[in-house]
Amino acid sequence: MKELKFLIALWKTNLASAMEYRVAFLSQSIGMILNDGVYFLVWIIFFDRFKDIRGWQLTDMFMVFGVSAGAFGLAGMLFGNAFNLGDIIVNGRLDYYLSLPRSTLLHVLASRAVPSGFGDFLYGFISYFASGQFSLDGFGRFIFALILATVVFVSFLVIVQSLAFWLGTGGALTGVAINAMITFALYPITLFNKTAKLILLIIIPAAFMGAVPAGFVRNFSWSSLELMILAAVGFLALALFLFHLGLRRYESGSAIQVEV
Amino acid sequence: MNKYLAIFKINLLNSLAYPAEMATRSGMILIFMTVFFQLWHVTYGDSGTQVLNGLTLQNIMWYLLLAETIELGRPRLARVISEQVKDGSIAYLLNKPYNFLLYQLSIGMGESLPRMGLLFIVGGTLVWIMAGPPPQLQNWPLAAIPLVGAWLLHFCFNCLIGLAAFVAEEVAPFEWIYQKFVFILGGMLVPLDFYPVWLQAVAKSLPFAYMMYGPASLFVRPDLQLFVQIVSGQILWLAVLGGLLVLAFSRGMRRLAINGG
Repeated sequence: MKELKFLIALWKTNLASAMEYRVAFLSQSIGMILNDGVYFLVWIIFFDRFKDIRGWQLTDMFMVFGVSAGAFGLAGMLFGNAFNLGDIIVNGRLDYYLSLPRSTLLHVLASRAVPSGFGDFLYGFISYFASGQFSLDGFGRFIFALILATVVFVSFLVIVQSLAFWLGTGGALTGVAINAMITFALYPITLFNKTAKLILLIIIPAAFMGAVPAGFVRNFSWSSLELMILAAVGFLALALFLFHLGLRRYESGSAIQVEV
Repeated sequence: MNKYLAIFKINLLNSLAYPAEMATRSGMILIFMTVFFQLWHVTYGDSGTQVLNGLTLQNIMWYLLLAETIELGRPRLARVISEQVKDGSIAYLLNKPYNFLLYQLSIGMGESLPRMGLLFIVGGTLVWIMAGPPPQLQNWPLAAIPLVGAWLLHFCFNCLIGLAAFVAEEVAPFEWIYQKFVFILGGMLVPLDFYPVWLQAVAKSLPFAYMMYGPASLFVRPDLQLFVQIVSGQILWLAVLGGLLVLAFSRGMRRLAINGG
């Protein structure tokens, strides 16, 4: 409860900070909605030509984009530093967070909001409504699936970037990991064979950011629900474990840092 | 000319100084090519034909490889220039005895050349294994010349977006949308041959097709007539965008205010 209050206070500060630069915030949000919408045109063109890819149609892609863009945006809005945790570790910028009496990981992750994340988040909803599969219970499932997909995504980012504690560098690997996650999440899962699907469920959990939650939103099933909860809890636990294990190896650069 | 060559060499060596970092970044092309292969392999399999819109699966994979090499290897100058404009560090570049735009061109080429080379080798190895050998070697020069033209068009767009920081608070949205136009109207993810005829006509009347579709298409379907058409289109768009760039730069210089040191 105490941590939740702390998180809410951080999010309020981030929002106030974003509102200080309203034009930049609005231009990035609107720009991102346009960016996502233009990108989706590829699938409209593709399915206009081929209609169906092993049972997947344009409506399925709308749903996958809805969950993926929504989760990506929510992660950026609430835990913006998840995208550059590796750099923070390598540059010795954890000192500031370690000196304060709060959960280091939670504090560092929530200390920044990515303004364009709001655009991605909104686009997620636009894409869901555009799928033409709106229903009240379906919308409830969409929200729930979005939250679980966000947990998996943020946890995956923390896992990959915690490797910076051991490797001493993280930028390139993080870029590859984020690209892999997004790329695989945004393609029909029916394209992949059993081995590839297993990789997308366990190693690069892109299926939990796209196909699995999208399927759950379309049709409720206990097995999908269990799988999503298991993935969220499992990846979160692994992220916490790896980050704290790495933290023991962390060496301060004793640099003077200013956190704004 | 020698000074720009020296800047190019410094950035080339700088890029080569971190081989592990560069190799990791090249890993991205493996992800993209794997996904593209799955998508098109299934599409060709389901349609039960070897040739779709004049392209075989092998053609399409080498087309996509060149398109991805251009996209992932092109200079990311928009962000760099916009930061230089916003934080005022552009002032330190303007008082040096070189032309600012040619300086950026030399930097961009120095960074791009090894990156594109490595992307092509890494991605090409995978494509060769998955889809078959590359197009015949004697056809490569027909794609190499438009490749340079495509790179220069990307450079002009990047600089224009970067210099937009003189008038706009945030240029990132311009960069995202420009990239997506290249994806869609450049035929980066799906070759333009698969588009409805009217959309092909729209795409081919804009510069984006000359930045992706042109060189990638010539790589897999070498044709002298197409080569002339692509190169002349590139020259035309380079004249337009280059002119705009020079204009934007001189306007930007008039707006530049430097306070203190």
